[in-house]
Amino acid sequence: MKRRRILATVAMLAAGSGLVACSSDGGGSDASNCTNTITKQNVPVVTMWGWYPNTQLVVDNFNKQHDDVQVCWTNVGQGGDEYDKFQTAISAGTGAPDVIMVEADRIPTFQIQGALVDIKQYGYDAVKANYGEGAWKDVSVGDKVYGVPVDGGPMGMIYRKDIFDKYKITPPKTWAEYEQAAQKVKDAGGPLFGDLGANVPAVLMALQIQKGASPFTYDPAQPKSIGVKLNDQASKDVLDYWGGLAKKGLVGTQDQFTPEYISGVINGNYATYISAAWAPGYLTGAGVGKGQDTGKFAVAPLPQWDPANPVQVNWGGSAFSVTKQAKKPELAAKVAYGLYADKESLTDGWTNQIIFPLNLTALKDPAFVDLKVAFFDGQQANKEVYLPAADAYKGVAYAPFGQYYLDAMTKQVSEVIKGSITGSQAADRLQEDVAKYAKEQGFTVQ
Amino acid sequence: MTLLTEKRAPRTQHEKRKIRGKVHLREHLMGWLFVGPFGVVFLAFLIAPLGYALYLSLFQKKLIGGTSFVLFDNYVKAFTDPSFLSGVWFVLRFSLVSIPLQILIALALALILDAVTTLFARFSRLMIFLPYAIPTVIGAVMWGFLYSKGFGPLTDIFGLFGATAPDFLSSDLIFYGLLNVVTWQWAGYYMIILYAALQGVDPTLYEAARMDGAGRWQIATRIKIPLIAPALILILVFSLIGTLQFFNEPQILRYLAAGTIGTDFTPNMYAYQQAFSLANFNYGSAISFALGGIVFICVYAFLFFTRKRRSFL
Amino acid sequence: MTDHTSVRAGTRRPQRYLPMQILLGFLVIYFLVPFWWVIVNSSKDAPGLFGGGNTLWFTDQIDYIGNLKQLFTYDGGIYLRWILNSTLYAIAGGVGATVLAVMAGYGFAKYRFAARRFSFAVVLGALMVPATALVIPTFIMFSRLGLTNTVWAVILPSLLNPFGVYLMHVYARDAVPDELLDAARVDGAGEVRTFLQIALPLMRPAVVTVLLLSAVASWNNYFLPLAMLSDNRLFPVTVGLGLWQGIASANNSGGTSLWSLIILGSLVSVLPLIIAFFSLQRHWRGGLSVGGLR
Repeated sequence: MKRRRILATVAMLAAGSGLVACSSDGGGSDASNCTNTITKQNVPVVTMWGWYPNTQLVVDNFNKQHDDVQVCWTNVGQGGDEYDKFQTAISAGTGAPDVIMVEADRIPTFQIQGALVDIKQYGYDAVKANYGEGAWKDVSVGDKVYGVPVDGGPMGMIYRKDIFDKYKITPPKTWAEYEQAAQKVKDAGGPLFGDLGANVPAVLMALQIQKGASPFTYDPAQPKSIGVKLNDQASKDVLDYWGGLAKKGLVGTQDQFTPEYISGVINGNYATYISAAWAPGYLTGAGVGKGQDTGKFAVAPLPQWDPANPVQVNWGGSAFSVTKQAKKPELAAKVAYGLYADKESLTDGWTNQIIFPLNLTALKDPAFVDLKVAFFDGQQANKEVYLPAADAYKGVAYAPFGQYYLDAMTKQVSEVIKGSITGSQAADRLQEDVAKYAKEQGFTVQ
Repeated sequence: MTLLTEKRAPRTQHEKRKIRGKVHLREHLMGWLFVGPFGVVFLAFLIAPLGYALYLSLFQKKLIGGTSFVLFDNYVKAFTDPSFLSGVWFVLRFSLVSIPLQILIALALALILDAVTTLFARFSRLMIFLPYAIPTVIGAVMWGFLYSKGFGPLTDIFGLFGATAPDFLSSDLIFYGLLNVVTWQWAGYYMIILYAALQGVDPTLYEAARMDGAGRWQIATRIKIPLIAPALILILVFSLIGTLQFFNEPQILRYLAAGTIGTDFTPNMYAYQQAFSLANFNYGSAISFALGGIVFICVYAFLFFTRKRRSFL
Repeated sequence: MTDHTSVRAGTRRPQRYLPMQILLGFLVIYFLVPFWWVIVNSSKDAPGLFGGGNTLWFTDQIDYIGNLKQLFTYDGGIYLRWILNSTLYAIAGGVGATVLAVMAGYGFAKYRFAARRFSFAVVLGALMVPATALVIPTFIMFSRLGLTNTVWAVILPSLLNPFGVYLMHVYARDAVPDELLDAARVDGAGEVRTFLQIALPLMRPAVVTVLLLSAVASWNNYFLPLAMLSDNRLFPVTVGLGLWQGIASANNSGGTSLWSLIILGSLVSVLPLIIAFFSLQRHWRGGLSVGGLR
């Protein structure tokens, strides 16, 4: 009796899930597997991967406004998880979406494998004027365009006003002041001043660039040759600086983007958070800035090495690219150009601080410029911090093996955190490691 | 392959008849008919992939310059690659500590449960076995939360004694952090196997021993443990194979501690990174293959030293 | 602590050694703490989770219903789909692997065919092949065949269970007497009928064990589907929760705090197997002793 009942249940479940599964045999580029609901029937569908927190709304807006194409969206994970999936699909020759959200620093990595489509011929001229020159530069390799810019990541220093007030410090303008302030808070028995996370190597790369490092020089006209310079004095100084802060116990060494870190931020365990313009939106999504810590955050410009010659840098910032596996590249390009380019989506993005837009119509919108950001207790963060930072950002040349470089950096930084090597040694090892990899991959390393 | 040959069962009457008679063809056919479907799967999903992996591992693919045949270069590289070697060193060390620990706990529990027969003991048996029903991935997720200083219970528990909670995800303690996850996950399963083996022992043996004046401890160590030695060897071998292939738990905990658990933390993770993150299937295959070789050597060495190879496989 | 209850369990008064039971009690607590933590914390929302307070006890707000609703509706109810996928993979992989293993184990045990010893040795050797070492080449082979990112990519490789064959072989050899088979043959039963009607019922404990073991292996599988699938609608619940873990780590679930869902999702996902194990307890315990004891 009992067994028969179990068997019946099992059979039912099997039949049920079998039916569900049958409809989805087609794979990742099959339009039947969308997270969003497509209401318009008999319209060509373009598949897309992306992880903006408000992607659902962005896609719905696009689909509402278009009758000739509909977007089918899937979130296959953020950053590294998505790149692994995409990389796997490239190797398999199948399974990639038509359009993919990528950070600008990954574009050369995928481009060199021939995985992305040059979209210059598919309507670049019509939207060219919507973005600044720097924005286009970040998504181009040589004179070919491999992505449509969506958001940038001008960096600033997010800090806790309550902690700064309590210990009577003002936002540091230089990194030397940052260390002094950190020491002051520590001496007074206060919380950690910041955090050195091994899992956010891109931040350290940005901070090295701020000091004058230029990790990679790569000219796509000469694809076989690459400049790798990861252990120059500037790179060493920055790693030594942060390694020193960690050793002195001034900053934490917690991985960022983890629940542990988030709860630390909520509970005021860190006085500052060196991050980009999109961070407040992500923090809000995780519950920061609500409840007990409402209105406790503010933002100041990134501290400088030489206040007389300030340098602004970028973390993150992403684009929509068209993949080689897109069956109709022109249609896919239309989606890439049109997604997150309408006013409603952009406005939602920047009001919630999820993106720092690169679209000039948004950047010049007085409502954006003067926005009083709720997360920062009404501070006009764009005008005061992020817009000047974005304007001064010069662009960077990225490596065509970004994944390896960032993994290697994480490895060395975690050694620094462990205290087994100094920042300088880490830079030397990183140089050796990455240059060796580049050679193995057939590059001539300069 | 001699270690693998199965223990020779005494020929039965049926077999003797077969040998004398001339029904060989039919017997061959029927045998292959029964074994055939599995054989097909075996060839398709074990032999073919293995052969293919071996083939792939003989090539090298570069971003610039494409693919070329390099014979054993990838293996030479692997055995001089600090990432691979440190991963192997880790899983070896981890095996040496975690396997004896798990088995000791499992054995102790099995002996206790064999001796204690209260309702509570029966309840305990199920509860201790419970973690085996948890996917390793979910187990790792759960322990990842528990290790959190911010909202895990460790802070509360250690706080009771006025101590600071250790951070099991830091690079100093990750070994123990993983050790705990693995023990929690598997000790109950091994316990059940050993317990089942103990239940199969003829109780009159204990009676005889007791007549001879053996105490409970002597019965356990002199009679029970030797009698379930085959089961012990079996789970030792399986945990050895599993531990050398360590992947799921550290891969999941990487989300919480990417700095501590690098992409080359274990050989399998390194192979995964090479293949799926860096698109280097050739080197990834070589690493997998090299790991397979190491597993084989370790298991062989283990069976050799326990001199039990004939009674197990 | 008297010793006179010498006959085995059940027949006489239960044996109770207090110190051992206390030790057991501590171990049970250790094995149950994670479950308790998950049960308690799946009742909380994000502020309750992150905002301090006792992590091993409930907050004022106990919201299982709300969290459950969110779990099953978030992202178009994808969680339910993951559970169904896992069920499909576990049943298809489990049943398939068991059928193959039972047949092969019986074949190896009861027929003396050409290359039998060699084949069996090869199968046993396969026990030592790291299952994960097969994932990379299988992935490439499947991608050539256009099978990656389909349910087959997960089901087909999990049909392989050499340990099942070994277990069935041992059991069939010991538990199915040749005389019985011969008698059936003399009565005119064909080989297949002999197998189905005589041998199979005798092998039932081992069959249930192999079935459970291979279903659990499929249900727990992570590496294979992680590599094979890129479409999250095909994910089993293990890979799905891993995906959520990754997304939640980046705090970008758009206003929904995924952490509560992950915790509750973990809890819900382990229930089916726990139920399966408990309800089939009688069957698999008998089978497990076979592999160890011979």
